Amino acid sequence: MAIMECAALTKRFGAVKALDGVSLAVQPGRVVGLLGPNGSGKTTLIKLANGLLTPTGGELKIMGMKPGSETKALVSYLPDKEYLPEWMNAKQLMDFYGDFYSDFDRERAREMLARLGVDEKRRFKQLSKGTREKVQLILVMSRQAKLYLLDEPIGGVDPATRDFILDTIIRNYNPEAAVVISTHLIADVEQVLDDVIFVREGHVLLQSTVDEIRAREGKSVDQYFREVFKC
Amino acid sequence: MLGKLLKHEFRATGRILLPIYGAVIALAALANVSIRLLDRELSPILRFLFVLVLVCFVLGMILAGVMTAWMMIKRFYTNLLKDEGYLMHTLPVSVHALVWSKMIAALCWFVMTFLVVWLSIGLTVLIQNNTNLGELLAELPSWHEIRQVLREMGIRGGDITLLLGETAMAILLGGVMTCLHFYAAMSLGHMFSENKLLLSVVFFVLISIMFSFFTTGYGFYIHWDSLDSAETVAGGIRVVQGFIGKALLMEGIQAAVLYLATVLGLKKGLNLA
Repeated sequence: MAIMECAALTKRFGAVKALDGVSLAVQPGRVVGLLGPNGSGKTTLIKLANGLLTPTGGELKIMGMKPGSETKALVSYLPDKEYLPEWMNAKQLMDFYGDFYSDFDRERAREMLARLGVDEKRRFKQLSKGTREKVQLILVMSRQAKLYLLDEPIGGVDPATRDFILDTIIRNYNPEAAVVISTHLIADVEQVLDDVIFVREGHVLLQSTVDEIRAREGKSVDQYFREVFKC
Repeated sequence: MLGKLLKHEFRATGRILLPIYGAVIALAALANVSIRLLDRELSPILRFLFVLVLVCFVLGMILAGVMTAWMMIKRFYTNLLKDEGYLMHTLPVSVHALVWSKMIAALCWFVMTFLVVWLSIGLTVLIQNNTNLGELLAELPSWHEIRQVLREMGIRGGDITLLLGETAMAILLGGVMTCLHFYAAMSLGHMFSENKLLLSVVFFVLISIMFSFFTTGYGFYIHWDSLDSAETVAGGIRVVQGFIGKALLMEGIQAAVLYLATVLGLKKGLNLA
């Protein structure tokens, strides 16, 4: 059974179609790159999967269920912005996650925070931008979720932080779960991807495994992406 | 999950409001001392300082009230409609639980602020050198005496209980409506992609206008002359009970409409930037 499935999914904002008849499936155990230029509909798709938007048409299901309280317990989501209350410290944030998510592994989170040298009593807003992004990712990846939806996890961070983020994702995700990474920085994530979905102007252009692309096109996903999305 | 939401809501709001309460009570104690000392011969500077303490105490009480209302609005806005909404709306809880947690916490803080303000006033005014609290309390009539007087006026204990119950309900519903008025306006205003705050203000005004029609309609619906025609105090109380009962019904309907608008706005129209 697919962990996430969309059928003819459409989302309109007034006259603008952010997603137009998108159909795709994400299987368990796969790391999927949701790839496309800015404004292609990646964030809209992820927001729909999290129940943060309501579809205009079509259907989206997580483990066979429409997005709601039940699916939110199964999905671990990293938005593309700083979303944690600034006044909280890491300890309070772990309390918060532990209270609401039964799959939250506090020990694992503490271990990663300690490795990062984050003082648990320091407020979120007192941390550097890079550290705040890492703390967010640590909380998200410390859950034993069925589906991880990571929206632009490496956007706007330095190369060292980028490595830390990708390493954290690969080391910590539940092997029976699926990971969807939305990004336009393909070269940086290509090494960790099993599958890719190309999105342009609200349409799915391609859904394939990384190996298939390399074998069929004789080039890397990054090179193929540049060719497909050439301006 | 509502309990957990409330726990975190009280933690988030308490860190702001509890220090304010502490400051108001401390200022009340200082104001108490100031009032005592202002009776004496003092230098102009000391007199100015003691008056300043009294002014700060009054401002502190006003600040407590304003901050309680501000926190009610701000928590809903920043926690559910701004970036923190990405955290709150992806928790495995219902939208109902989110709205109730905000509303219950806000109502509790309104009650707390009311109690703190009255406690502070009590601390400042009542416990003075020339005020004997024991004597003051002893002068108040006992419950038995009150009942005796009421019985002589033909008023039954049940009437008073019902009237007090209705009044308490009216105050509670009034608080609920105040919260929901802001929540519904913000929730509807944030369904749009742009000018969210401006549209929230527009919705707030529109709701106010719409409900003022209800209230006017209610005024016509009530037969005020029935109060004049009541021949006894007991009869008058029963008429007032009827008025409050109808007002409660109207408030209840308005609160239900606002709650529905809030929940629908968050469920169907959520559009986080």
